[in-house]
Amino acid sequence: MSESASPSLSRPGFGRRSKGFDLLKFVSRYGVVITLLASILIFSVLNDRFLEADGIRTSLNLGSPLLMLALGLTAVLAMGDFDLSVTGLQSAAGAMVVILIVNHDWTWWLAVLMGLLLCVFAGSLNGALVSYAGMPSFITTLATGLILIGIRYEIADGRNITGSRDLPDIYRDFGVGKPEPWLELNTPVWIAAGLAILMWLLMSKTEMGRYMYAIGGNPEAARLSGINVRALRAAGFTLVGFMALFAAFTSTARSASAVADSGFSTLLGAYAAAFLGAAASKRTLFNVPGTVLGVIFLQAVDRGLILEGYSTGVRDIAKGCILLLAMAFTRLGASRQ
Amino acid sequence: MTGAVQQAHASLLEVVGATKHYPGVLAVDDVSLSIEAGQIVGLVGKNGAGKSTLIKIIAGAEQADEGHLRLHGERLELHRPHDATVAGLAFVHQDLQDVGDLSVAENVMLGLGYPRRMGVLVDWAELRRQAADALARLEADIDPREPVGDLSVAQQRLVMIARGLAQKARLLVLDEPSASLTDEEIEHLFAVVRRLRDDGIGVVYVSHRLEEIFELTERVIVMRNGRLVADEPTESLDRASLIFHIAGHEHAQTSVQRRASRGVGGRPDAETVLEVEGVSAETGVRDCSFDVRKGEILGLGGLMGSGRTELVRAVFGADRRQEGTVRVNGAPIFGRDPAESMAAGLALLPEERKTQGNIMDFSVRNNITLASLDRHRIGRRVPAPSGRSEKRAADARIGRLSIATPDDRQLVRLLSGGNQQKVVIAKWLEQGADALIFDEPTIGVDVDGKEEIYAIMEELAAEGKAVVFISSEFSELVGVCHRVLVLSEGRIVGELEAAAVTEPAIVELCYSQH
Repeated sequence: MSESASPSLSRPGFGRRSKGFDLLKFVSRYGVVITLLASILIFSVLNDRFLEADGIRTSLNLGSPLLMLALGLTAVLAMGDFDLSVTGLQSAAGAMVVILIVNHDWTWWLAVLMGLLLCVFAGSLNGALVSYAGMPSFITTLATGLILIGIRYEIADGRNITGSRDLPDIYRDFGVGKPEPWLELNTPVWIAAGLAILMWLLMSKTEMGRYMYAIGGNPEAARLSGINVRALRAAGFTLVGFMALFAAFTSTARSASAVADSGFSTLLGAYAAAFLGAAASKRTLFNVPGTVLGVIFLQAVDRGLILEGYSTGVRDIAKGCILLLAMAFTRLGASRQ
Repeated sequence: MTGAVQQAHASLLEVVGATKHYPGVLAVDDVSLSIEAGQIVGLVGKNGAGKSTLIKIIAGAEQADEGHLRLHGERLELHRPHDATVAGLAFVHQDLQDVGDLSVAENVMLGLGYPRRMGVLVDWAELRRQAADALARLEADIDPREPVGDLSVAQQRLVMIARGLAQKARLLVLDEPSASLTDEEIEHLFAVVRRLRDDGIGVVYVSHRLEEIFELTERVIVMRNGRLVADEPTESLDRASLIFHIAGHEHAQTSVQRRASRGVGGRPDAETVLEVEGVSAETGVRDCSFDVRKGEILGLGGLMGSGRTELVRAVFGADRRQEGTVRVNGAPIFGRDPAESMAAGLALLPEERKTQGNIMDFSVRNNITLASLDRHRIGRRVPAPSGRSEKRAADARIGRLSIATPDDRQLVRLLSGGNQQKVVIAKWLEQGADALIFDEPTIGVDVDGKEEIYAIMEELAAEGKAVVFISSEFSELVGVCHRVLVLSEGRIVGELEAAAVTEPAIVELCYSQH
């Protein structure tokens, strides 16, 4: 008798769970969503410009390349790999495309095609090294990413390449244009949304997606079930290459330039989005809707802090803290099971 | 006065009434024995006989539920492995437990506290000297500075023994020390062991090679089903009597009865489904050939490490083959990968259901359909799984195999071991191969679950499938298989068919030298 009564006395949570609601469980399950809603609420109270349509549109436009990168990462992360070369690839491809158009008078679509070749080649190389040569993805893609950033600096002399005069309007429209009848959202947002839907279909609705999650769950069991683990892991890196091209294309089109920067904070942003998305999902799996949510979250926080007049440093600190908080919520749930 | 007399007669180590329960198993059942200084004692028994658990108790890695140990007549309490080291008990385990990147000297002195200079700096010269001393006692020509990873297996074992000597061990337990050693290396090992014995060290020598037991030991202890069934001077035993002690006969009767009642006879007269010819692999499989017919259940027997799992992995293409051909329904498969074998009609239900059989974080449904997902498409040419079709298939399997799960969406991680095993079986039944290899499907499964798994294999055979069944419980093979092949050290060393399939016959083959 006394034994059965004691747990609810010593552990208050026990009694509450038996009533059907467990605060800790709720927080760990919906922690990311709660934090997102809370941030939006706080920012909109602090500054009524936070919910202005124009500002939101700009924010979405700026976040689109980030989402593209994060979508590619979601695929490799789901299979248990990392790709740290993605922003290096974006930066090198962007520089190459802009230089080909601005300095060498290439037709814009031919230049983009060259960028695509570079991205597919580098992505496949990553895939071959990791999946077929068996090299660890973390350090391998760190190395190829470094090489790509080096290439980018060499071909552009380490400078920004501006092309506001030389880039054709049709190219620039991919960054700033607004297909008229549609909600006045910029083209990159539509491209990103389209890619997100395609990736969601791929990962959640197809055999390939099922196999990718199987590989992430247990590569050996997947292989013994007849799944071509090597080919799929390699394909993941090629997919990242595709996404890097889209990101390079839309971001250079928007700013009419290829910016010389290591892409480090973009890289962290893309990973943060993917991990926030996993933390928001029921079984903490990397997933496309979660990644979309993660990007929206990060963009919202960024915008809120910019409106409050905070510097880049403070914004990075805040985003880092939010990421830690989301992970802590998730761990809280995991450790209780 | 009496104390002194006791001291003189006290054994080096005594185990008194040791008993150890694991959930569902009595691993060690009231075992009492003594080890004398300056004596080599052989410890033999089948896999699962309780040898390992007994050794773990002596090593302080497991606590006995009942019983105790005595060292030189005094009660010895071992709460952790370090206590055994302090007491002078040294262990050389079968799988080498040295640190490959560290030098020989560092490994020999590992865990003893390295000699120091000025309190903090390791005195490397002194470290090497002490290690060299221990190695010299073994007449081992090994450079203390070399990384252990660069040594041969035989040299690594000597390093482990040297570690024991450096600990000033009084008792040395060698678990399968001759595994993967050449004849010459084994001779050297024996010479070392005899010299240690002459120095007054007590030696426990665990081996499946009975020839070694007869050559080296003075006394033999036999364990079976957790009990000590024989403790006799080696010279009073011969091969036949030792095998009799190891195999026993209590179980044999029931499995023979099962065999008779089920009407298991010789192999059916039907066409061949799976043909294996001269398969060798880097994993230690040597020139193995066999075939399996429609409706046949072929057993693969052997001791742990005899190469059964390695053989079927090479056949299935899970590991690379060096040589040999495999045909399924007459068509050759080249062993590139499991997908190729599956397309040809071959399936392998792997040994480790947690690490190889299931995706533990997938639902029961998604595991069951994983190997046959292309049959559950929403449209014939649309590679997207239809949840409804998957659910129908999964529910049918859950019902037929009576998998205990709340529903088909339950994560496999949350099921019991036996039900996890059934999910693996369901996946491969769903895949629909013509030849199915079951690698230890009954490990960790309760008695009822085992009967269900036998029934599944028998049903498959009745449907005209070819079945290969690997088990370390030989009574299972006797109860179910038309024919049994026995492996030892990567080779097929014998074949038994029909009425010749008995437990003692399998055990005899396991211990045969080739």
